[in-house]
Amino acid sequence: MPLGGVLFITVFIALFGAFLLWFAAKVGAKPTYRDPVKFEPYECGIPSVEKKDTKINVKFYLTAILFILFDIEIIFMYPWATTFRDSIATGNGAFVFGSMLIFLAIFIFGLFWEIKSKALEWD
Amino acid sequence: MGHDIFEITVNGIKLVLIFLLMVQAVPMLVWLERRGSAFIQNRFGPNRVGPLGLLQLGADAIKFLTKENFVPTSAKKALFYAAPVFALIPGAVAFSAIPMATPVYIEAFEMFGQNWGPYRFLVQGYEIGVGIVFILGVSSLAAYTILMAGWGSGNKFSLMGALRASAQTISYELALGLSIVGVIMMFGTFNLTEMINAQQGPLTFKWMEYTVTANWLPNWGIFFQPLGALLFFTATFAESNRLPFDLAEGESELVAGFHTEYGGFKMNLFFIGEYAHMMIASGLMTVFFFGGYSIPYFSVADVQAWALSVTQSEMSASILSALLHFLSFNIKFGFFLWTFIWVRWTLPRFRYDQLMDLGWKTMLPWALANTIITAFIIYFATI
Amino acid sequence: MTADAFLFWFLAIVTLGSGLSVILLSNPIYSALSLAMTMVGISALFVTLNAYFIAGVQLIVYAGAVMVLFVMVIMLFDLKSDTVAFAKGKFTGALKVASVGLLAGLVVAAIDLSKGLIGVKDGENHLVALGDMEATKSLGRILFQKYVFGFEALGVLLLVIAVGAVSLARSKGGTHEH
Repeated sequence: MPLGGVLFITVFIALFGAFLLWFAAKVGAKPTYRDPVKFEPYECGIPSVEKKDTKINVKFYLTAILFILFDIEIIFMYPWATTFRDSIATGNGAFVFGSMLIFLAIFIFGLFWEIKSKALEWD
Repeated sequence: MGHDIFEITVNGIKLVLIFLLMVQAVPMLVWLERRGSAFIQNRFGPNRVGPLGLLQLGADAIKFLTKENFVPTSAKKALFYAAPVFALIPGAVAFSAIPMATPVYIEAFEMFGQNWGPYRFLVQGYEIGVGIVFILGVSSLAAYTILMAGWGSGNKFSLMGALRASAQTISYELALGLSIVGVIMMFGTFNLTEMINAQQGPLTFKWMEYTVTANWLPNWGIFFQPLGALLFFTATFAESNRLPFDLAEGESELVAGFHTEYGGFKMNLFFIGEYAHMMIASGLMTVFFFGGYSIPYFSVADVQAWALSVTQSEMSASILSALLHFLSFNIKFGFFLWTFIWVRWTLPRFRYDQLMDLGWKTMLPWALANTIITAFIIYFATI
Repeated sequence: MTADAFLFWFLAIVTLGSGLSVILLSNPIYSALSLAMTMVGISALFVTLNAYFIAGVQLIVYAGAVMVLFVMVIMLFDLKSDTVAFAKGKFTGALKVASVGLLAGLVVAAIDLSKGLIGVKDGENHLVALGDMEATKSLGRILFQKYVFGFEALGVLLLVIAVGAVSLARSKGGTHEH
């Protein structure tokens, strides 16, 4: 079972990376100049003003939601793609192919509707 | 990981070795990138430290280590430190699943008064039956690194950069996932080793009852899926945030994107993560479309038979064949890594709306078209 | 303890621990990240059941897509005031009692239902016998031949969700239409 290997390397890298960061902090130059301004987050010129509610373009959410939907549709094609040749060999090819074509037609309709409704338009 | 203590130890060392190989390949790639870009732009590049500037790698590492460990006051400390460490994980975990050579046989032997073996070690971290799905799944976790770094820095530029970078990554993941449906359909498997085995021998097209064989070409996936290969390779550029798709950074509006507040060694770890994505992309290109570790014109069985006739022992024959195939894999792999650098210094970068348009309105429909065309051809060719 | 048992217990503890921290941590971002960790843990648990494809899908869809959206959305809101309002609101007392009651009921029912199953060895795990790819292929065969209607209905459902999401984003108050 490969799971043990995956877990092992994950834990190893986490420890290794943490060690490297610790080591770099230990070896690295010590701050000689201490000023609160130095430890402020990067900003061009004027100090940053914290806004109460950040307004972010709704596009980002929309992109993420559409991504999830298409991702699920694509994931469903994977088991279909692995069995496609086998289905043709066993004589079920036409049925399996037809069912995927209907699914793809819905997929394509959705994609072109979204393009047409300007949901994917960025400016 | 194995059945006895010897096998487990060797497999563990192998995993660590693959990870360390990935990490140490990064400074070499950086050197190659700087020298290559200088060559392309008719400059010198780093040539002061050591012969050909090769010791620049060591100098850079020392510089990274001795930098002051800076954390802004607005940062969420836990996330700020966790993000660079996490950046290493998806790349290395996914890369370990890519087969790099034929397996090595170790004959039964005696050690510490005990009988061990025989063993069969794969030249890859671990073999996963559903290789592609695993690699896609693990590398999709890389989006968290970006979001953790962006939010953990407590900086508006970082957050906006993280947002843009993750929107870009997820948009191109669709084209990436869809472009390999054709490949899966062709080979009928998720397993990378089986894909390599299917690409042996001369190029053979089958259509109805006719078979056309081209002896002068290897049976590589690129000849069956040229559009899929192009779409896949383009999408991986966007996935690894490389030029011409490095919209996560933008000096004029976003400064350095999600790693604005990072410097020194923490920055270096992000760098390693980015190069790890390049390596996965190159490895997958090799496996899907260019025959993986197999040597063109010689099938794996041919090479193994030849190695056996030379060395007369099964164990050394397997080691010889593994070395030859490893070399073959690395030549192809290195070519794609060089292509990444080459493209970076050749093409201009996109604007953000052009990037999103390309992903959603050009690459996704073409990937769909590729899937449908492949399905039709397979259906009518094999019916 | 065998290696498989160790892996199972390790993964179960990690999954449950991150699941618990989803509800125990006060900062919603850490909660969302813990939920992502829970998804990864569940995916690893699927691997211990030899359901490799489902594990991969869990990783791609839940950990790689759904939770990315959650984390992205939560990071963009300043949720400090909302957190306080939720933790110290009027209804929270009753809500807490009701939730604890529900949870206790679930735990009792789960133990009761699985009482007979504890200690039973899986003599006939069909997936083990099939191997990695065969299990996925048999899933594909069943899905695209026997349950094909559900598959097509899912396509329509996803289309409806997409249309709904787009029209929500375009409605008043959104920044989509200028």
